[in-house]
Amino acid sequence: MLRYNWSIRKTAATVALGGVLAFGAVVEASAWSLEEAAAPYKGATIRTIGEALPPLEAMKKLAPEFEKRTGITVEIEMYEHSEAVSKVMLDLNSKRGRYDFIIQPHRELGKFVTNGHVEPVEAFMGSAELRDPKFKPEEQLYQGLWKEISWYDGKPYGFPFTALTMYMWYRSDLLSDPKEQEGFKAKYGYDLAPAKDWKQYRDIAEWFTRPDERLYGTALQGKRHEALWYEWLNFLYSHGGDMLEVKAGSECGPVIVNSPQAIAATEYYKSLMAFSPPDTLNYFWDDVMALMQQGTVAELIMWNDATYAVAVDEAASTVVGKMGFDIVPQGEGGKVAQVEGWTYLIPTSSKNKEAAYLFIQWMMDYDQQLHQHLNGGATARPDVYASADVQKLPYAKASMDSNEVAKPKPTLPQSSEMTDILVRELSSYLADEKSAKEALDQSAKEISELLGSCAPMKYPVQ
Amino acid sequence: MKTMNQQSRGRFLLDRGASLPLMLPATLLVVVFLVGPFYYMAYTAMTDLSFANPDQKGAFVGLDNFRKLMRDDQIFWSSFWLTIRFVVVSVTIEFVLGFALAWLIWRFIERQRLLTTLLLVPMMLAPVAVGLIWRLLLQGDFGMVTYYLRKLGILSQASAVFSSPGLVMPTIIAIDVWQWTPFVTLIILAGLMSLPKTPFEAATMDGAGPWRQFVDIMLPLLRPIIALVLLLRGIDAFKEFDKVFIMTGGGPGTVSELLSIYAYRVNFKNWNLGYGAAVSFMVYLVVLILCSIFYKAVYWKSSAERQ
Repeated sequence: MLRYNWSIRKTAATVALGGVLAFGAVVEASAWSLEEAAAPYKGATIRTIGEALPPLEAMKKLAPEFEKRTGITVEIEMYEHSEAVSKVMLDLNSKRGRYDFIIQPHRELGKFVTNGHVEPVEAFMGSAELRDPKFKPEEQLYQGLWKEISWYDGKPYGFPFTALTMYMWYRSDLLSDPKEQEGFKAKYGYDLAPAKDWKQYRDIAEWFTRPDERLYGTALQGKRHEALWYEWLNFLYSHGGDMLEVKAGSECGPVIVNSPQAIAATEYYKSLMAFSPPDTLNYFWDDVMALMQQGTVAELIMWNDATYAVAVDEAASTVVGKMGFDIVPQGEGGKVAQVEGWTYLIPTSSKNKEAAYLFIQWMMDYDQQLHQHLNGGATARPDVYASADVQKLPYAKASMDSNEVAKPKPTLPQSSEMTDILVRELSSYLADEKSAKEALDQSAKEISELLGSCAPMKYPVQ
Repeated sequence: MKTMNQQSRGRFLLDRGASLPLMLPATLLVVVFLVGPFYYMAYTAMTDLSFANPDQKGAFVGLDNFRKLMRDDQIFWSSFWLTIRFVVVSVTIEFVLGFALAWLIWRFIERQRLLTTLLLVPMMLAPVAVGLIWRLLLQGDFGMVTYYLRKLGILSQASAVFSSPGLVMPTIIAIDVWQWTPFVTLIILAGLMSLPKTPFEAATMDGAGPWRQFVDIMLPLLRPIIALVLLLRGIDAFKEFDKVFIMTGGGPGTVSELLSIYAYRVNFKNWNLGYGAAVSFMVYLVVLILCSIFYKAVYWKSSAERQ
């Protein structure tokens, strides 16, 4: 029944979107300009909020051009990840309408949609006054990423601000050092090269773990923090595991987080602690990025939006020119990457929805996307990745490869609580409070209770 | 005569209803910021309100949240007992050290002002700043304290304080002691300085030694001050949040998940506000019960002695 409803809704949404697109094509012929479209909103101020990271800083640098062309002022509030999320939740629930558009991680989407906090963008896309005929998200964006990051239950609610994936970072200078290659081959019996599977990944981590030289094989993000969950997902997916047995983030289904594959992935993940610096249970993404910038780690799994600060920014990194990037090693689950996007959304309480849409649409333009991407962003536009400037970035290929095989994660209203359960249990396992099976069984039990009848446990707990 | 007139005029005004407008601002503040939110919290604790789940719009569920809390929530109970242990150990150490320090200053140091000002520095820092400072000092790769602990052989090269589950709570307690012992010292020192000299002089003439004077005169005279300082520190330690949240986030695992951190997670990570209000209500209730037991014990002993 659930699947039936889902498919009806999906069909209806596709038809609706098709109508919108057809309408868009008709009006394309007539001239459209941002200046004219924005004229009714001249003098307005639109405010947004997001995570204080290079992509948002890049947007802040671009905003004055939009302001100059439209007379609309753009105010951008930047906060640390959790703060940016909780401030939005409080604002949406108080219905104050402080933010005219918001930039949020897509795991929050279900909560916003089911509580009626955000507007679908179909209405804006269907408006001849607002829609730029050149803006064709159905052609210009990675469809998988757009639908994963900004759609819920078959309906678009926004556009990707960043399409974040995680991939393998490694020190290419170390891996190509003839001395290292010789020693490695003598010990492990095969050539030293970027890891293709998890056995190679562990061998490389072990080989380069030399605390006396202040060099470690890897660095796990083991702090009790969302970072731990995100990192672990790479291992989970790649080992063939998942949290729920579903095809889309907005679907509910059987809980499989305690499957044999998930247990194997989790045990493997912990085994890498031996090759990580001693403070590994206190690291989150900022810490491991700093370790890589200082050149004390040989390989790790990290976010694409942090790559710029390590591989390009000479003022911050000691390893510029010494880095290589590749998709995460493969396990039973094959080629896979976990995606986490931040998405533009327009709250129902926004006081300047149209002006906000115009800004978002303008930001999705090729030029703005290119600038943002080159300054630490992670665009969802394939044509930006294809540009010569982006191709020069050492992580361009790894980003594209990961985008192609990005896997959805739950965006249900309860997804934050699911994350919290898993973070706690994984952290307990890393701290030796329980075994991997106990931690994942407990997670499965709590997640199944949380989601209710739509999420029975596929691997029942005794 | 003039004073008498002024007094009767004041009395007249109060009797004629001027007392109400004078009390109104303070009453309003108390109602708006204390009584109102408290009743709202108590009411919310009896609803299923959730900002995350659209099916939980705040329907009245009676005592269901409390029932779940008491019967099924193992994390609540482990956090609760962890918090109790944290309060007992840290406040006891702070009291013993604070008292000893105050007594030493009172007995042997003449330039007390300079010293007390210096002692107050950790107490004057915001808890968030304390958390950030110690997080950096104890960072496993470049933390200064970590470096010296390793140099002295107290910490092995292969371990770090916040990544060693066995070291996390003792470290948090040590940092709390570092921050709040000066507060205990200050209050006890004020009490010592206000002690009357006569009972001590009489005891000396009667041949009582320093220990006897300490136990039989000084401690009973300081009892209200001691009660006050233990009460304030106990309540504050029970609510400890900022430092621990910044330094460990409650981890690794659940090693440092104090009750306030658990309440934060339920309320502001999971947005389960009905259940979160029940957790917060329990925190309030425990503090209230502890305070009342403690206060009554002290008061009862004082009045028993007076009789």
